[in-house]
Amino acid sequence: MLIALPDGSRREIAEKCARIDDILKQLGINPEEVIVAKNGRIVPEEETAGSNDELKIVRFVHGG
Amino acid sequence: MLSEAEKKRYSRQIRLFGEDGQEKLKRTSVFIAGAGGLGSAVSIYMAAGGFGKIRIVDCDSVELSNLNRQILHANADVGRPKAKSAFETLTGINPEIEVEALVETISQDNIDQLLQGCDLIMDAMDNFPIRYLLNRTALRRKIPLFHGAISGYQGQATTIIPGKTACLSCIFPRAPPATIFPALGSTCGVIGSIQVTEAVKYVTEAGMLLENRLLLWDGLNGCLDEMACERNSACRECSDSVY
Repeated sequence: MLIALPDGSRREIAEKCARIDDILKQLGINPEEVIVAKNGRIVPEEETAGSNDELKIVRFVHGG
Repeated sequence: MLSEAEKKRYSRQIRLFGEDGQEKLKRTSVFIAGAGGLGSAVSIYMAAGGFGKIRIVDCDSVELSNLNRQILHANADVGRPKAKSAFETLTGINPEIEVEALVETISQDNIDQLLQGCDLIMDAMDNFPIRYLLNRTALRRKIPLFHGAISGYQGQATTIIPGKTACLSCIFPRAPPATIFPALGSTCGVIGSIQVTEAVKYVTEAGMLLENRLLLWDGLNGCLDEMACERNSACRECSDSVY
């Protein structure tokens, strides 16, 4: 599973299938601060991702 | 009908969408939540562009530390309510439009009253709890919400059309931790301008809106990116079980 991290780096992890919130925990990322796109589409963190999926994790902002 | 002065004032954009489009803008009442960094860019471009009625709401007074980005307000406005200086700036830019500027704290109790008669909502807030309230109200009233947010060099925008697109809670199910965010005036300008462009396109029925697309601006690296989104069938705000 290929993952694009908020800092722009990319990382490959050898997970067959995992929930996105578990993947975030594994990466040490606070799920409250990010949104995750699976294969280009934003998905809820309860969703699972498999080995052929590509995840993109983006830190979203709240200021005005 | 547009007056001769209005035809002249808006002549360069009438080339874009015709007098018909300009009249649509003139007939549109907008609600702008916040007169800070985003609210400055949003309200100035909406006023200059001829949205006929602007209601802008902010409960704060101008502080010196606002002036790097909040271009509605000037040095002499420090200590004055933001709504007051917003009124003066906007009516100074365009006396042809109607501006209502209110010193109010947006809340569950007054949101319906504040939004009365408004056709669309511009999100220029600095926190997610009030954004969720705007989202919920937009869904209930079935009017569009033009979302924008910034921090430092980064910003995001999307257009929410109730019943058609993902709502704010579908995209951001949880509010991020409240922190003091770094803010750059030009980032507010980028994102506020995108929000106004979306509102102009919506009203004049032109182009492709940011529907089900979250636009992400990374000013530090000069990159624009987008992520697709869709309605979440389990969304606490817009799923069919709620409406």
